[in-house]
Amino acid sequence: MTAGAMRAGGSLRERVPFGPRGPIGLFLDPLTWRAAVYLLFSVVPGMFWFTALAVAVSVSLGLLIVWVGLPLFLLTILCWRGGAMLERRLMWPAFGISIRDPYRPWPDAGFVRRLTWLPSDPATWKDLGYLLLLFPLGLVEFTLSAVLWSCSIGFTAQPVLVLLGVPTSITPELVIDTVPESIPWMLLGLAFTAGTLYVVRGMGWLHGMLAVALLGPGDEEQVTHLRASRARGVDAAEAERRRIERDLHDGAQQRLLAVAMDLGRAQAKMESDPDEAKELLAQAHAGAKAAIAELRDLARGIYPAILTDRGLDAALSALAARAPVHVSVTVDIDHRPPPAVESIAYFVVAESLTNMAKHSLATEASVRVAKERDHVLVEIYDNGMGGAVASPGGGLAGLADRAATIDGTLTVHSPPGGPTVISARLPYEW
Amino acid sequence: MRVVIAEDSVLLREGLVRLLADGGIDTVAAVGDGEALVAAVREHEPDLALVDVRMPPSHTDEGLRAALAARTLRPGLPVLVLSQYVEEHYATELIGRGAAAVGYLLKERVADVAEFLEAVRRVAAGGTVLDPDVVTQLLSRRRQGNAVGSLTARESEVLGLMAQGRSNTAIAGRLGVTEGAVEKHISSIFGKLRLDPAPDDHRRVLAVLAYLGHT
Repeated sequence: MTAGAMRAGGSLRERVPFGPRGPIGLFLDPLTWRAAVYLLFSVVPGMFWFTALAVAVSVSLGLLIVWVGLPLFLLTILCWRGGAMLERRLMWPAFGISIRDPYRPWPDAGFVRRLTWLPSDPATWKDLGYLLLLFPLGLVEFTLSAVLWSCSIGFTAQPVLVLLGVPTSITPELVIDTVPESIPWMLLGLAFTAGTLYVVRGMGWLHGMLAVALLGPGDEEQVTHLRASRARGVDAAEAERRRIERDLHDGAQQRLLAVAMDLGRAQAKMESDPDEAKELLAQAHAGAKAAIAELRDLARGIYPAILTDRGLDAALSALAARAPVHVSVTVDIDHRPPPAVESIAYFVVAESLTNMAKHSLATEASVRVAKERDHVLVEIYDNGMGGAVASPGGGLAGLADRAATIDGTLTVHSPPGGPTVISARLPYEW
Repeated sequence: MRVVIAEDSVLLREGLVRLLADGGIDTVAAVGDGEALVAAVREHEPDLALVDVRMPPSHTDEGLRAALAARTLRPGLPVLVLSQYVEEHYATELIGRGAAAVGYLLKERVADVAEFLEAVRRVAAGGTVLDPDVVTQLLSRRRQGNAVGSLTARESEVLGLMAQGRSNTAIAGRLGVTEGAVEKHISSIFGKLRLDPAPDDHRRVLAVLAYLGHT
């Protein structure tokens, strides 16, 4: 049975996350056990929501004639949204699926629009559907899991039970009370266990798909979200180009002009005032070197070569080394994320460290890059005076927009008095 | 000669002051934005305003607008505008209200000290100075299908040099021809552009303006 399942699993595995190494792999995969626990207990919240919502909805609809019903109903909606949000967050530990909250944003103005904010959002009703389905679904999951696990464990544990002196009677005639008799039963139990592992993963997959369909963003929300993030990304790119033009114009170009002017003046004075001409030459020389340094910094600001060559760890260490205070850097990721992710992570750190150096009076800072689920978490901490904000048009806001284009987020936590923590969550793959 | 400088880059501002001083020109005020320029012009009544197009706060055409405002305040004030880029729009806006005592140069021209000082003096004396690059751009655009299209290549070249405010002698020197030849080209240009004999020097400016569509 095991071998058959493995062979049959070949094509199936591509659609269902069965793991790469058959039942042994499944057995060792923590995801299997997390799913098993969820499937055994999902009936509990299922039952709770089913009864609670049945009561709350009917009571508030009944009271709708008197005005009490309306706030009660809105409160009920809020409650089930909370339940759905909790379920959404459970999907990651249970099945390894992360689902974004699909809700429309709270309207800026308008009493009616705010009042209808909850009921007019399709996500609200999909939430309700999921929570009501959770009960029958949980019941099936529980029953199936309970039967399969007790058979698997019961059969596999036969030799132990016999040794402990607890005979098992399958039928009045068939009683297992000797070790040799128990061995085939144990083998059957092992086969059963293997099958159970597959069933658990399969159920987990089905449950996950249902959750994605009902709790996840629908096409409409997905499109709105993508459109908004694309627009912000385009704006961010535009702002970036303007910044580069400004930097070139105000920096290197002015310096080179000053150099040219000095050289021109030196040329004019070569005959009449050689001493001053020499001085002007020296000044032009220094100016040319400053212009080179400025161009180099600017080029690095556009894209640091070391990031492409050596990845985040090296690039961030180089950034930290240029900071005016001690910055400790820890990068703990097992493989390199795509270039866009690396680049945004790098510039978040660069901008944060620049802001820190300019405004915060910090004496020490740290940068941490870690893998968190399927995201890269970038965190910059400094012990300065705080008060940093991502103001529109500023560097941090631009980076937040860039992060949004790959469905990442940037948060600034910087109370007056500090410390400042700027963190970016960027998807590992996008 | 007394000038007012408006340039936001401190480095360049100081450089310009010293460069003008080398040429025996006094800087009575050096400011960093448009408003300050207008105020300085009002206060010092300079012989010329040297203005950078791009200045704070908007970093767009601040300086140009300030220069126009200064000219409204003191009609006939000689203004030499420096720009980082060739923008014929800026040039036409500037000379649209009268080309006398107006100059528009690329910023990098300051590196040729002697020529730059010469341009400053020409504008202060009421002449017109247009950057060769601006003239080239204007010429290439206007060449397509109007009266100016009938000019020969050499005539266009002469007109370009005229637009830079050069005298016949200078044009002859630059092109390596006799002054008589230059005069012939110029009268041919005047003829083709139908500029009738009028108060003499003014025709040169009108010829340049013909290209800009401001006659």
